[in-house]
Amino acid sequence: MTIIAISSDSYGMGREIGEKAAKRLGYSYLDRELLKDIAKCSGIPEGKLLKALEKTPSALGMSAKDQAIYLAHIEQSVIAEFLKDNVVCCGLAAHLYVCGVSHVLKVRVLSNPEVIGKELAPGKSLSKEAVDKLISRNENARKRWSVKAFSLDETDPSNYDMVISLNKIEMQEAVKSIAGAAGYKKFKAMSYSLKCLKDEEIAAKAKTILFPRFPDAQVRANGPTVVVFTKGVKREKQKKALMIKEMLGKIPEVNFVEVHVVNDILREAAESLR
Amino acid sequence: MDKKVCVLLLDDEPIVGKRLKPAVEKMGCDVEVFEDPRVALERIDEKAFDIVVTDIRMDEIDGIEVLERVKKKSPRTKVIMITGYAMMSLAREAMEKGAYDFIAKPFTPEELRKAIAKAAEALGTPLQSLAA
Repeated sequence: MTIIAISSDSYGMGREIGEKAAKRLGYSYLDRELLKDIAKCSGIPEGKLLKALEKTPSALGMSAKDQAIYLAHIEQSVIAEFLKDNVVCCGLAAHLYVCGVSHVLKVRVLSNPEVIGKELAPGKSLSKEAVDKLISRNENARKRWSVKAFSLDETDPSNYDMVISLNKIEMQEAVKSIAGAAGYKKFKAMSYSLKCLKDEEIAAKAKTILFPRFPDAQVRANGPTVVVFTKGVKREKQKKALMIKEMLGKIPEVNFVEVHVVNDILREAAESLR
Repeated sequence: MDKKVCVLLLDDEPIVGKRLKPAVEKMGCDVEVFEDPRVALERIDEKAFDIVVTDIRMDEIDGIEVLERVKKKSPRTKVIMITGYAMMSLAREAMEKGAYDFIAKPFTPEELRKAIAKAAEALGTPLQSLAA
């Protein structure tokens, strides 16, 4: 009764380890193939969902608002799969949004630099220095992406339960170690961790509803209670709170919505100058 | 007649035992309630309970110590930890030390009843009327 969330500097390598670990444990396996189903359910093109998982928002690329919406849909679908239990997941950023759930074993797989080099520059023959530079640039980009999207650095080893370097350990040994760790009592599901996961699912559902209108909203769920923090100017506080309550009232699992509209000082200052 | 499932309930807040005792008794269990962990441990030394429900944060002796003592005395006993200070590290510590379940406060009597029913089933003494 454990979930394994694999993060890797190489999606291909993470996927291979994930599939092998799932097979060894008899767990179901989840990766970016799920994006097809999410695209069908949400109406968001699969390419945009993939881009949200890979690129940091920018003026010329995807907006922060769109990324937040797409990631909320991914989060909701992945957590719904996690609630079925015994799952290995790779490439869907799960390690970043279920980080507080105790029965999720978070694994970071570091690939061989040559493998990453080939993945980042397919078909090109690069020197070791050029590969190192490419890897370093990619790592910085992933760091920026994860901090921007989930306020967590996915390259920081302290955010994981286990870090495996395929430069030092054989693939089969790595799979064996992951499967072994999944059997530890500390990663067993319990009432509290299942509640945390359910809470995350409700919060993700709320985000998919709120973000198109309130992209800056911060959402937390605690059982049937959802707490929302957002910014607003004084005159619109009540209206905003009512609107949010009405929007989230549509979620069947929610029976109370608490809204905190914090003063948007910058907007208030700008309006007072007009 | 089937043997009743014996439950020890330990929480230093009297209201918790007072509220939960009747809810667990309704399941057909024999329930003993304690507020003082020292007295509870003395009783645990005398009798092997099927299920122990203990708070974690208590003065003098904490729930983790109670868990360790129970598992040492009776490895088959299922220990359910309850706490108002739930966090991932504490939950993992409790599970690693042999807790059967970990529940965050506040919880409803129904949530505890479900955890007890699951523990009773794992012990091979399912509580027919409430296992659902």
